[in-house]
Amino acid sequence: MNTLVEILSPNFLLRQALIGSVLVGLVCPLVGVYFVLRRMIFLGVALPQLSAAGIACSFFIYRVLVGPHQHFELTERGLAMIGSFSFTLAGLLILAAFERHRETVEARIGITYAIAAAATILFVAADPGADAHMVSLLKGDILATTSTSLGVLAGVFSTIVLMMFAFRKEFLLVSFDRDLAIVFRKRVGFWDSLLYLLIGTTISLGVMTAGPLVTFGFLVVPPLTARLVTQRMLTFSLVAAGLGAVTAFVGFYCAYRFDMPLGPAEVAVASLVLVAVAAAGAVRHAADRWRTP
Amino acid sequence: MTNTALLQLRDLSLGYDGRVVLESVSLSIERGEFLALLGPNGAGKTTLLRGMLGLIPVLAGQIEYGFDRLAHPPGYVPQRETLDPIFPLTVFEVVLMGTYARLAPLQKVRQRNRQLAALCLEQVGLAHLANRPFWALSGGQKQRVLIARALAVEPEILLLDEPTSGVDPGATSAIMDLIARLNHERGLTVVLVSHHLRLVRSLVRSVIWVEEGRATKGSTDRILAPERVADIFGTLTGTV
Repeated sequence: MNTLVEILSPNFLLRQALIGSVLVGLVCPLVGVYFVLRRMIFLGVALPQLSAAGIACSFFIYRVLVGPHQHFELTERGLAMIGSFSFTLAGLLILAAFERHRETVEARIGITYAIAAAATILFVAADPGADAHMVSLLKGDILATTSTSLGVLAGVFSTIVLMMFAFRKEFLLVSFDRDLAIVFRKRVGFWDSLLYLLIGTTISLGVMTAGPLVTFGFLVVPPLTARLVTQRMLTFSLVAAGLGAVTAFVGFYCAYRFDMPLGPAEVAVASLVLVAVAAAGAVRHAADRWRTP
Repeated sequence: MTNTALLQLRDLSLGYDGRVVLESVSLSIERGEFLALLGPNGAGKTTLLRGMLGLIPVLAGQIEYGFDRLAHPPGYVPQRETLDPIFPLTVFEVVLMGTYARLAPLQKVRQRNRQLAALCLEQVGLAHLANRPFWALSGGQKQRVLIARALAVEPEILLLDEPTSGVDPGATSAIMDLIARLNHERGLTVVLVSHHLRLVRSLVRSVIWVEEGRATKGSTDRILAPERVADIFGTLTGTV
């Protein structure tokens, strides 16, 4: 109880990290619902890794062309953002262009993941200035969240949330029945691209803030949990976002209280909720079948 | 184009990835017509329907529309298997989607859109299922919901892709009766792809016969004359 009071106190030392965690937990599932609905879940593994490769690549290029960058400076964040965003968006657009060709989708995503993971390590190894701090930036170091980066995160995520809700009927139509959207003469390519842009931005910021593991976890796990208990699109999105925020908070509490690594703790809590909800659903289903003659 | 023609196909060629499936199709569909697209499997019936809807590019020739496609898009009923059951949608939400045709981005779904969706659901006799999950319905019920969604567009023409495919005989009759009623009572032009030769023969007045890359339009009596059907299908006269 004391830990909870301490965490909620305005003077809590890691307050910015806590807010950053909850923001990532809130927004990643909101865009993640479209990963689940469009059956692009495995993209959620490859894209955060691609984002990390982009960060490593931008540092490497900067090192070669300009020289060493200074840690904790704005240029470092800017470099990471440019690298992460450009790699994520390029990867998303290329992989999404083949979204309808289902036959080789796993192979393409698997290759993307393998190349991205290898490239990340190679870029870091090739950069003589790479050190522990940079590696932590690649993995996402939420405890190092500053007020500036938190402000950027809050501003960009607020815009993403507003756009996801403002254009939800367009995103739903092109995702659920693309042919109908074409018959209605909607600009399908534009809406797909806008959705991918919002997803790409969320992943880039998520990876820089919390790392690939947490970003992938929150893109996929809360929406999968929410899908088990909701039957309407709006409630599906809201429950997924709400679950993400709550599990991020509980994960943060557990990590702080029991001295565990933050990212894995958050994903573990979200996964436990998924297992509990799925088990409850299975028990209810079995009971219904048993009652029915 | 005649005054009453809703769709006029002129020397039309359609296909996929540059491969021609249908060639030199010229025919017109008049306002208020009820016709079926028939032919052997793989002949190009769905290709022709998708061409009329603007879902595949025209390789040659042209399609003239006798209605405003922006204000009143065609009512399209796809095969229900093309829709993914992973989407959490109620019956009402699916029907409401039909009203999106005339909603601009940022324009909110209004009360009149909801009323229209409710009315369309009532017309197909499923108002009592409005809040049920779409995927919990039977095949025939889902098909009627998709017809309600097409009606919510307030279309001048209804195009249906095998609306009775995989549906039991009782539900098949209910769906075909509903479509016939929409044509008779509302004067809605109807084009449907079907495999049920016998069922279609008793309902439609005209047929577009699709075979070997060609499409021919004619009266039901002429195209589906017993000797012609026997000639094409040998002893098989029940279904194509």
